[in-house]
Amino acid sequence: MAMLFRTHLRLALTSIKENRTRSFLTCLGIAIGIASIILILSLTGSVSKLITDEISDIGADLIVVRPSTTKDSITTIVEELTASNSFQKSNLAISDVDEIKKLESVTAVAPIAITHSTLTDEENTIPSATILGTTVDFNTIEPQTFRYGGFINDKNHENSVVIGPSLSLHLYNTTNPVGRTLLFHGERFIVVGVMENNDASINFDNVDFDSALIMDIKVLEKLVGSLQVQQINVKVATTSDLEETSSKIRETLIEKKSGDTNFTVSYGDDISHPASALLNIISGMLSLVAGISLVVGGIGVMNIMLVSVAERAHEIGIRKAVGASSSNILMQFMFEALILSILGGILGIALGYILAIFASSITPFAPYISWQIIAITFLTALVVGVIFGIYPALKAASKNPIDSLKHYR
Amino acid sequence: MNEEIIQIKGLTKRYGYGDTESFALKDFDLTIRRGEFIMIMGPSGCGKTTLLNIIGLLDRATSGEYILNGEDVAGISARRKARLRAKKIGFIFQNFNLIQDLSVLENVALPLVYVNRPRTVRLKNASDTLRRFHLQEREYYLPSQLSGGQQQRVAIARAIVSDPEIILADEPTGNLDSRASISVMEELKSIHEEGNTIIMVTHNPALTVYATRVINMLDGQIATDIKTVSDQNLPQKIEVKRTRGKAKKTRNSRRKR
Ligand SMILES: Nc1ncnc2c1ncn2[C@@H]1O[C@H](COP(=O)(O)OP(=O)(O)OP(=O)(O)O)[C@@H](O)[C@H]1O
Ligand SMILES: [Mg+2]
Repeated sequence: MAMLFRTHLRLALTSIKENRTRSFLTCLGIAIGIASIILILSLTGSVSKLITDEISDIGADLIVVRPSTTKDSITTIVEELTASNSFQKSNLAISDVDEIKKLESVTAVAPIAITHSTLTDEENTIPSATILGTTVDFNTIEPQTFRYGGFINDKNHENSVVIGPSLSLHLYNTTNPVGRTLLFHGERFIVVGVMENNDASINFDNVDFDSALIMDIKVLEKLVGSLQVQQINVKVATTSDLEETSSKIRETLIEKKSGDTNFTVSYGDDISHPASALLNIISGMLSLVAGISLVVGGIGVMNIMLVSVAERAHEIGIRKAVGASSSNILMQFMFEALILSILGGILGIALGYILAIFASSITPFAPYISWQIIAITFLTALVVGVIFGIYPALKAASKNPIDSLKHYR
Repeated sequence: MNEEIIQIKGLTKRYGYGDTESFALKDFDLTIRRGEFIMIMGPSGCGKTTLLNIIGLLDRATSGEYILNGEDVAGISARRKARLRAKKIGFIFQNFNLIQDLSVLENVALPLVYVNRPRTVRLKNASDTLRRFHLQEREYYLPSQLSGGQQQRVAIARAIVSDPEIILADEPTGNLDSRASISVMEELKSIHEEGNTIIMVTHNPALTVYATRVINMLDGQIATDIKTVSDQNLPQKIEVKRTRGKAKKTRNSRRKR
């Protein structure tokens, strides 16, 4: 048995080598499907890793309050994606911040409110800049590194702002505009700090800090009128307080909102959950597309195997005449299909990671390699080989030797 | 006296039903002893190839009894038939039927694949057999690089490499000129002298001098059946000690007797 196994392996390899170009093209069909699955898994893996890493960077002592409990449903997520201003239906208010701050064991509270508005300085105008309203505590919870200057503080928060590096370039054509002013809703503000490039457009605040302007939330509200608080970040004294404090926050807010429970209070890994839910849907859809391309690749394998069986009818006849059983022939062709798809799988895994590394050079997503991903994709290739190889192999095995021997080459 | 190796009784092969019904073999009886060299002659379409294919377990009769080496093989499984083909039967065809992609050596070794011999043993046995046919210099040629006579000798080497009970040859000289035919017949003769049973179909009456028995067929039945050598004088099978998995014995040693 083991001997026949090796013989068939050698046979299949010989036949694949003899038809090099054809075999390579067949492998390529499988490889493209496998590569797209690898790419998708690597990207989604890298995105969730970015978010979890950020949360562990900030510390395990973080509680996040977000509006709406129905974030997981696809419709909500799609609505949020298509709405021009996200979190329109937020039921969090700026006054909630003060309520939470009163709780013991809470050391810092920072709301996040986003709006888009025009910024001007003497020369340039930015028509729709991202304005982030928060409190001085923001820098305590998520300490930012500053290229120049520093964060707004209790003394200057009435008339000072902090900007991201790319906004600085667009507005002032310089990297160090500390001390210069800008005009926002008719008021003049002083730039007190420029943040370091942080490249993390995916983070648990859902804000691209590089091109944002950060200012005091109460000043912002006075200027633009109504504001939507998209989340409130809370820092507690010690991690052992997390559970108790988050339930206290929940109680306080429910009481304050007279029974309204349309918000979530989360800590630890749950913080990344809304982002991962969206991610799962997107990666699911992409995987479906990759799966379809894999089926196409599998059909390629089947096609080539059918051609191979037809071409080698004479050989099959000879083999049967000298003593090959149907299962011998079945095994021979099954091996060939399996090797084609395994080679395709290996090629696809390599190709996928090359693409993932390439993607990482133009996006912030580092390639995410895990043995699970390799195992899953390898297994997928194997299953494709079995599914699409079995029919041609059965066809070969069931050939009548007398008819097959009549096929001259 | 040599034992009966093939007993066929009332064998019928029918093609088609009703109006298209025709018989390739009709109520066919034949008994063959070990060591016979049988030549089957007859007009085209009289059922010679059909008979050979049924004896070789490539085809199945519509009805009738076929006992091969004491085993009733009429209703056995396809797997068992494949096993018997691998161990007990060697085929030689008119058009050689070598696998074009395999070297001469690998072609000869092919039957040993299906009796589970290790690769080294397979190649050793095949090489020894090829030496007997003076083809050892051609081991690594492809069949297309050989002449017709050489290809047929490779096919004969393949037929005897696993030391079968019966060798079936369907017009083995049909594609060869007279010189190549003679060399092929001489090889078959020496195989026969070692006590092997050979059943050969031919259209060439001159070749019947090699036979111990000549059967003329007509319309799926035996017309004449003449033994030129009595059963007592048939060659005895030379017992060869073939160690499984070890290529100890060679064809050369067998030939010396
Ligand atoms: N697959 C088939 N379907 C229908 N009839 C068949 C089939 N194979 C063979 N026959 C018929 O069976 C008869 C015997 O055929 P067979 O090949 O045994 O003849 P043969 O004696 O070998 O002839 P030749 O000397 O030309 O090789 C022929 O009449 C042929 O038409
Ligand atoms: Mg014939």
